Amino acid sequence: MTDLQFLTWTRGPGLDLAVAVFLLGVLWRLIEIYTLGRKKDLAAPRHAPGASGLHTVFRRSLPPPGMLKRSPVSYIGGYVFHIGLAIIVFLGAPHVLLIKNLVGVSWPTLPSQFIGLTAVVTMAAMVLMLADRINKPVKRFLSTFEDWFTWAVTFLPVLTGWMATQHLLLPYTQMLALHILSAEILLVVLPFSKLFHGFTLFGSRWYNGRVNAHKGVPV
Amino acid sequence: MSLDAIPIQVVHTTPPGEPGLTGNAPPLLRELLEQVERLLETGVPSAIDLSALPLTPADMDWLRNALGPGEIDVTLDANGESTLSETGCPGVWWITHRNEQGAVTSQFLEVTFVPELVKAHPQDVAMGRETLERLLADL
Amino acid sequence: MQGPLIDTLARQGVTRRTFLKYCATLASMMALPPAAGRAMAEAMAAVRRPSVIWLPFQECTGCTESITRSHSPTIEGMIFDMISLDYQETLMAAAGHQAEEARQNAMKANAGKYLLIVDGSIPLGQNGAYSCIGGRSNVDILKEAAGGAAAVIAVGTCASYGGIPKANPNPTGAVPVSDIVKDKPIVNIPGCPPIPVVMTGVLAHYLTFGSLPELDDKGRPKSFFGETIHDRCYRRPFYDQGKFAKTFDDEGARRGWCLFELGCKGPVTHNACATVKWNGGTSWPVESGHGCLGCSEPDFWDGGGFYKALSAPADPLKFAAAASVVGAAVGVGVSFANRAKKNKAKATHETITVADLEK
Repeated sequence: MTDLQFLTWTRGPGLDLAVAVFLLGVLWRLIEIYTLGRKKDLAAPRHAPGASGLHTVFRRSLPPPGMLKRSPVSYIGGYVFHIGLAIIVFLGAPHVLLIKNLVGVSWPTLPSQFIGLTAVVTMAAMVLMLADRINKPVKRFLSTFEDWFTWAVTFLPVLTGWMATQHLLLPYTQMLALHILSAEILLVVLPFSKLFHGFTLFGSRWYNGRVNAHKGVPV
Repeated sequence: MSLDAIPIQVVHTTPPGEPGLTGNAPPLLRELLEQVERLLETGVPSAIDLSALPLTPADMDWLRNALGPGEIDVTLDANGESTLSETGCPGVWWITHRNEQGAVTSQFLEVTFVPELVKAHPQDVAMGRETLERLLADL
Repeated sequence: MQGPLIDTLARQGVTRRTFLKYCATLASMMALPPAAGRAMAEAMAAVRRPSVIWLPFQECTGCTESITRSHSPTIEGMIFDMISLDYQETLMAAAGHQAEEARQNAMKANAGKYLLIVDGSIPLGQNGAYSCIGGRSNVDILKEAAGGAAAVIAVGTCASYGGIPKANPNPTGAVPVSDIVKDKPIVNIPGCPPIPVVMTGVLAHYLTFGSLPELDDKGRPKSFFGETIHDRCYRRPFYDQGKFAKTFDDEGARRGWCLFELGCKGPVTHNACATVKWNGGTSWPVESGHGCLGCSEPDFWDGGGFYKALSAPADPLKFAAAASVVGAAVGVGVSFANRAKKNKAKATHETITVADLEK
């Protein structure tokens, strides 16, 4: 298989399969989760200021008092790489073009140098967080295979994409193919791992906030 | 149907605010400086192959303007015209080779006292000697 | 015409300066340092002519057209004056048995020393019957001719990588030269057609240094195929600024912005078009407003569409709708199973009284 054949496979059948598994998994899990249902809380609802689903959605985005100081790497690093990933995926020109081709909508993009810089910052934050996870005994103890695996699956598309545009290590064609392949692996893994939080995050926050608000507790 | 009916307008002029400069030309001045210094110190000539660099026509114009016009222009008529012009910086020559149709085939910036192409080759000079000898013999 | 080349050229009215100028341009196109032009001129001026046999196989003669109709016939012709082209069906005067005889004679007289140029792919289907010359299959002729060659130069994408004949579904079973010739050095000069000066450049290199130029992992001369179209493209700054033409007639297209979104394969294509250009340096595909097709890369014909951006899907998604339906169905199914489980748990739930606990 030549470089170009490899690239064409990742752009063709590979993408087709990955998107299929992704859609299948996402719909399956979303429907499963949201049809679970909960018993109706028959107790009389209490009211407290700041206690609602919506409040919790936003409140959980901010570190609780004192926590920023206790684990700055988790919070700052976490913010940086999540925002970085969002910028790269949703504002990089080739990515927007892909989205346009898949779903038909597009929007303005950022210059490639800026995306490149964002990728470097994102990778730095992710490496820092990995080092923190290895260094801190408690974090290391709590980490399972899934944590290491999902870190790698998230990191690789950024690394290969950046290396492809910077012409590092491998010829562009091979690196681009590897980049697309790594993104496809991410798509396949996402619905069936903790990475699914991208879809369930706000729903579960809302749920928690709502249940506790009924009891008059802002969480 | 007239051509005006075609709704596509070709924009010939460079749009304002976009002179087509890539910023690739200014670093060449630094390279030229190094080459001029080498020429002065060691006498070794060097050259920059302009056709091998990603320069837009606007970049080329910028470079030409920056270097300015010099005193000597040599025109070589060999399978198309070639011009060897000294720039405003003595020792820096702008060399343009054209084919018979007048299209540019290659362009160089040569840093040298006199471009090699201008000098006559000893073998050609020898042929010139033969011609002179023959002329004298015929007198 | 067995004396040093410069004398031959002089007899044809080509002066030394003309030759020097040509070598300077050639060196520039071969990405050699500017000083190499002079060294090339000196070496080539003194060489004697090697014999060259040119075999056309499953091809369209576009490669021959490209080289023989290049911008300045006298200049490109110089290189052809430096070689003894003993067999070239399109150009030679001889025909039929005479032509085949000329080939046999040249192969015998220069055994082990001649250069073999091949254009076109070699069909292997039906025992090679898809393309024959003088009643012999291409694969047969190639094997015989390659046996006595010093080196093989595969001209064009067909000879180098199979090209259009090998495109899916490859009805003739076409293969490139490198699939058949295994024991001789092969230089691939891909392109559909290849740039004339690349071919003359390889010949000039052979004449100057007596060896073939340095090749990349796909057998192409690094000096011409070392960089991608994208790397050397004058529109590259627009790519970096994120300025793209969205259609072939929009504002961006008129302003000469990057053609990436219109399917340009420049980023994955190694060739010298961006620097050498075409038609005597007049223009080249991207300069004329059309993206690169990637014609000098293996299997470019099956590269997922000429007008699809590299980051866009090569084929329309086939499984997406089906996968969504299956996913939703599985979700609903699992949801019913969960409900059933919950209801069963509820149904089998037994109330525990204090008395039970005290038992």
